[in-house]
Amino acid sequence: MPPTPPMMPGAPGSKGGPGNRHAALLTREKPQNIKKTLGKLLKYIGRSRYLFFALLAVMLLITGLGLAAPMIQQIAIDCITPSETRTGVDIDKLISTLILLGAVYGLTALMTFLQGLFSAKLSQITVRTMRRDLFESLVHLPIKYIDNHSHGDLMSRMTNDVENISTTVSQSIGSLISGVLTVIGTFVIMLTYSPLLTLISVTTIFLTIFVSAKMTKYMKRFFVEQQVILGRINGHVEEMVTGFRTVAAYSKEQASIDEFKSMSNELRKTGIKAQICGGMMGPLMNCISNFGFVLIAAFGGWFSIQGWITVGTIQAFILYSKQFSRPINEIANQYANIQTAIAGAERIFEVMEAEPEPKGGSLPFSPENVKGDINFKNVDFSYVPEKQVLHGLDLWVKQGQKIAIVGATGSGKTTIVNLLTRFYDVDSGTVTVDGTDITEIPVSELRKSIAIVLQDTVLFSGTIRDNIRYGSADATDEQVRAAADKAYADEFIERLPDKYDTLLTEGGSNLSQGQRQLLSIARAVLADPKILILDEATSSVDTRTEMHIQSAMVALMKNRTSLIIAHRLSTIRDADKIVVIDHGRVAEAGSHEELIAQHGSYYELYQTQFAGNKT
Amino acid sequence: MKLARYLKPYLVFALLTPAAMIGEVLVDLLQPKLLSQIVDDGVLPQNMEVIIHTGIIMMLTIVIGGACGVGSAAFSGMASQGFARDLRNDVFEKVMRLSFQQTDKFTTGSLVTRLTADITAIQQLVDFSLRMLVRNLMFLIGGIIMMMQLNVRFGLVVAISLPIEVVIVVVIMRFANPLYSVVAGRLDNVNSVMQENVTGARVVKAYVQEEHETKRFDAANGDLMTANLKVMKLVALLQPLLMIIMNAAVLAIIYIGGLQVEAANLKVGEVMAAITYVTQILHGIMMLSMMFQSISRASASAKRLNEVLETVPAISDGEGDNSTEKGTVEFRGVTFNYPSSGGRPVLNGINLRIKSGENLAILGATGSGKSSLVNLIPRFYDAVEGEVLVDGANVKSFKLDELRSRIGIVLQKSELFSATAAENISWGDPSADRAAIEQAAEIARADEFISVMPDGYDTRIAEKGASLSGGQKQRMSIARAVLKKPEILIFDDSTSALDLRTEASLRQRLRESLAGTTVITIAQRIASVKDCDRIAVLDHGRLVGCAPHEELMKSCEVYQDIYRSQVKGGED
Repeated sequence: MPPTPPMMPGAPGSKGGPGNRHAALLTREKPQNIKKTLGKLLKYIGRSRYLFFALLAVMLLITGLGLAAPMIQQIAIDCITPSETRTGVDIDKLISTLILLGAVYGLTALMTFLQGLFSAKLSQITVRTMRRDLFESLVHLPIKYIDNHSHGDLMSRMTNDVENISTTVSQSIGSLISGVLTVIGTFVIMLTYSPLLTLISVTTIFLTIFVSAKMTKYMKRFFVEQQVILGRINGHVEEMVTGFRTVAAYSKEQASIDEFKSMSNELRKTGIKAQICGGMMGPLMNCISNFGFVLIAAFGGWFSIQGWITVGTIQAFILYSKQFSRPINEIANQYANIQTAIAGAERIFEVMEAEPEPKGGSLPFSPENVKGDINFKNVDFSYVPEKQVLHGLDLWVKQGQKIAIVGATGSGKTTIVNLLTRFYDVDSGTVTVDGTDITEIPVSELRKSIAIVLQDTVLFSGTIRDNIRYGSADATDEQVRAAADKAYADEFIERLPDKYDTLLTEGGSNLSQGQRQLLSIARAVLADPKILILDEATSSVDTRTEMHIQSAMVALMKNRTSLIIAHRLSTIRDADKIVVIDHGRVAEAGSHEELIAQHGSYYELYQTQFAGNKT
Repeated sequence: MKLARYLKPYLVFALLTPAAMIGEVLVDLLQPKLLSQIVDDGVLPQNMEVIIHTGIIMMLTIVIGGACGVGSAAFSGMASQGFARDLRNDVFEKVMRLSFQQTDKFTTGSLVTRLTADITAIQQLVDFSLRMLVRNLMFLIGGIIMMMQLNVRFGLVVAISLPIEVVIVVVIMRFANPLYSVVAGRLDNVNSVMQENVTGARVVKAYVQEEHETKRFDAANGDLMTANLKVMKLVALLQPLLMIIMNAAVLAIIYIGGLQVEAANLKVGEVMAAITYVTQILHGIMMLSMMFQSISRASASAKRLNEVLETVPAISDGEGDNSTEKGTVEFRGVTFNYPSSGGRPVLNGINLRIKSGENLAILGATGSGKSSLVNLIPRFYDAVEGEVLVDGANVKSFKLDELRSRIGIVLQKSELFSATAAENISWGDPSADRAAIEQAAEIARADEFISVMPDGYDTRIAEKGASLSGGQKQRMSIARAVLKKPEILIFDDSTSALDLRTEASLRQRLRESLAGTTVITIAQRIASVKDCDRIAVLDHGRLVGCAPHEELMKSCEVYQDIYRSQVKGGED
C-alpha cells in the first residue's frame, strides 16, 4: 500500500485550482513574526560575519565615492567656466582634477566588482548552509510529519523559499544598505550646496513616491485580474489536454475551443488595461523627474545670476537629484522582496524546528542476533484522535513464521507495518521484538533488523548498483550481483546497456514496474534482515515478471519472520498463518483450510475478492 | 519570424507605437540642449528672461513627451495583446485537432507551458521590441546626432567607447550563458535528491540511510554552490567594466570640451549637455545588449509554438456516412504499433467481428493490447495495417464527429472536468434534462453518492475530480456514457475501483437498461466477465481465443492460465 494514512482533516492539500494558485501568488504574504525570523536569518548570515563586514565596508566606500564624483565633476566644470577672476580655461587645474576624477571612477569600479564578489559569496554560503540544515532536519523528520504535509508544499519550501532568500541576500540587502547610505549622503551634500535647491529636489521626490505608490495600488488590481484569468486558462488547457480522450470521445473539441477563445479574449482586454496602466508609470515618472530637472535648471540659473551658486553647482545638483530618486524607488521595491523572503524563511524555519524523530531507547539490541519473534499486545492506535484505526489488536508472529495479513481497504493492514517499524507509535499497548518493547531500543537498530518491500517501489537516482547497495552500504560488487541473482533481477540487469552501472532516471522511470519491484527485492536480499515485511503488488505487471517476483519473494522469505500484506491467493495459501483484520481487530486467524471451513469473514472475503463469486 | 503574420491585423497600432515613442524620445533628447541654453544664454549673460522662457518651453515639451509615452504604451498594449490572443487561439485550436499520438508526443505539461508561458514571453517581446527597442535605438542615434551637432570631436569619444562596450557585454554573456545552464542542471540535481527523500522517506528510514542521503545531498548542494559562484563572479565583472568605459568617456568629454571652450569653439553649457548625452548613449547600448538576451530566450519560445502550429493533424475526417449496419464492429487483419515503441507491434493480425447487441469481453495480461484494440474503434489511433469497420463501413470513411457520436467509451482513467456533477454527466447529451441525467446516474449507481453531496447534482466537481474517490469517478464516467445512448459502448477496465458487489449490481442494471446496445468490456478479473456472450483473449498482441467462458476453459490455454492464477484452488 502507498504510505497514506487515512485522510487527515486539515492537512494542507495542494488541490486548489491553478486559478487559486496564481491569485495566491499575488496576495503578498505577510510574515507572522518578522523580528524572530529576521533574527534567525541574521544568525545564518552571521556565520560568515567577516564577509558581511567586508561587504559593508566596500559598500560604504562605494557610496562615499559615488557622492564625491559629482563634486569633483563640478570642480572640473568650474575650471572651464569663465569667472570674474579668470576668462579662459584653467588647464592645469582641469587636468589634475580629471586625474583625480579618473582615480575615483577607477576605485568605484573596483569596489563595485568586490561588492559583486562578496555578496555572491555571502548569499551562496548562507543559502548552502541553510539548504544543508533544512535537508538534515528533513531526513530526520518523523514519517508522520511527511504524511501530514503536502509533498508539493515541502518541496516548495526547499526550492522556491530558499531561492527567494538567496536572491534577497545577494541583491536586496546590498541595494537596501547602499540605497539608504546614498540617500542620506546625497541629502547632506545637497544641503551644503544649497538648501533652497535641496528643497525643490525633495519636493519632486515626494511627488515621485506619492504618484508611484498610487499607481502601483491601482495597477495591482489589473495584474491580479490578469493572473487569475491566466490561471483559468492554464487550468482549462491542462484539463482539456489531460482529458483529451474524453473530449474527443464526446466530440467536445469545438465547445472547448470556444470557451478557450472567450477566456483568451478576456485576457487580452485585461492585458491591455494592465499594460496601459503599467506603461503610464514610466512616462509619468519620467515627466516628474524632468519636471524636477527644469525646476533645478531654472531656479539654479536664477540663483547663479544672484551669485549664490556657481554653474558647476547646477550640474552637480542635477546629478545628485538623480542619485536621490533612484535609491528611494529601489528601497520601496526591496521592501516587498524582503517581506516575501522573510515569509519564506519563516516556512523554512518551521520545518527545521519541527520535532525530529525520536532516537528510541538505549537498551542494547543487535540486528544480527535478532530471532524475529514479534508480538503486538492490546494495541490501540489512531492517526487522528477521533478516528481509531486499531482497537486492542493482539498479534503474535513466532520466529521464522510466515504470516499473511488480509482485510478490506482501510482495515488497518498497513498500520501494523507502520507501528512495527516505528514510523508511528502506538497510543496504548506494546509492540515487542524478541520480548523487548521496541520503544526501548534504538530506532536505527530496530530498523536494521527489518527489511521492507513496498508496493510503490522507491528507487533513487544513481546506478542500479547504488540502488541495490542501499540494503547494505559496504557490500562488495559480488555480493550485489549475488543478491540480484537471488532476486531474479540479474537477468534483466545483464541485458541493459551498462548493466549494473546503468543510471536510473527520475526514480527508475526507464525500468518497467516489474523490474523496479525486482530491484527493491534485491535490495532487501542484500540487507539480509531477520524480519521481512512485504507489501506485495502485481497489479501492473505482466505474467512472466509476476512469476519472477513471486519466486523471488519465496526465496526471500526463507528462514525469516515474514509479514505479508497479501493481495495474491497463492501467497495466502502458502502462509503459515492467515490473519484477517477487520475494523482494527484480528477477526480470524488460522490456516487457509481452517478458515474456509469456519465459513466466517475470511470465507466471505475469499469468495468476493478472489474467487469472484457474487454474494 | 513566422509568427510575424499574427501582428498584421494590428499593424496600425504596431506602427503608431514607435511613432508616439519618437515624440517621447525627442523630448528627452531636447532636455540637455535646452538646459545648455539656460546656462549659456541665461545664466552666464545673467538674462533672467531667457531662463524663464526656456523653462516654460521645457515644461511644455515634457507634457507632450509624457502624453506620447502613455500613447505608445497604449498602442503597444493593443498590438501585443491582440497578437497574443490570436496566436493563443490558433495554437489551442491546433492542439484540439491533433491526434493522441501527437499530443502524447508533446506531453500535457509542455502544451500548457506553450500555451501560457511561451505565449506570454513572445507577447512581452513584441511589446518590448515595439517600445524599448525603438526607444533605445532612437536614444542611441539621436544622442549621437545631438553630440555631433555640439562638436564633431565628441563623436570620436562615442566612436571609441561604444564598440568597446558592445564587445564587453557580448563576451561576458557568451561565457556566462553556458554557465547558466550548468547551474540549472545542478539545481535539478539538488531538487531531485530532495524530492526523492520526501517521497521515499519510508525506504530511507527503513534502511537507516539518513547519513548516506545527507552526504549525497551535501555533494549536490556543494556542486550547485560552486557553479553558482562561478557564474556570479563572471557577471560581477560586467557592471564595473561598463562603468569604467562610461566614466572614461565622461572624462574625455570634459577634457576635450575644456580645450574647445579655451579655443572658444564651445560653450560650457554644451559640455554639460554632452556629458548627459554620452551617458544616455552608453546606457542605451547596455540596454540593447541586454535585450538581445531576452530576444534569444523568446525565440526559443517561438520555436516551440511553431512546432505545434506546423504539426499536421494525423487523423482527419472522411467523406461521410456510408454505414450499412447498426451497432457492429469488425477488425480485419489489424496490426498496430505506437511510433514511440520502435515498431514492436502491439496488435498483430487481429480478426474479430462483434455482432450488433453482443456483449463481448476482452481479457489479457497487462501490455497484451486490450486498450490499444478498443482505441482503434473511435479512431483515437489508426491501425497501421488492416482495417477497422464500424456499422459495416471503414472508420476512416466517417466524419470524426459522426463516428464518435455512435460510440460511448468509458476510459480506464476517468476524466472529469471542473463543472457541476450534472454538467459532467450531461457531456453525454447536452440536450438532456435533469430527469434524464438523474436516470443515467441511477443506472450507473452514481445517484447514491451524488444525491448526498452538499448541493446534490449541482455540486461542483474539483479539477480532475480530485474530491471524488476512484470508484465514484468511474461511476460518473459511466453515467456520462450511458446518457449518450450510443450504439456501441466500450468499458475500458472502467470498474476496477469498484468492489465486486457494487460492480455486479452495476452490471446487472446496465444489462437491463442497455438492451440492444453492443457492449465491449475490458477487464482484469475473470469474475467480472464470466457471463459475457463471448470473451476475446489477447496475448502479446494476438487474439488467441474468442468464445464463451465454458468453451475457453476447455480450449484456450492462456485463458486457463489466467483463470488458475486468479481463482487457483478456489472452488475445488
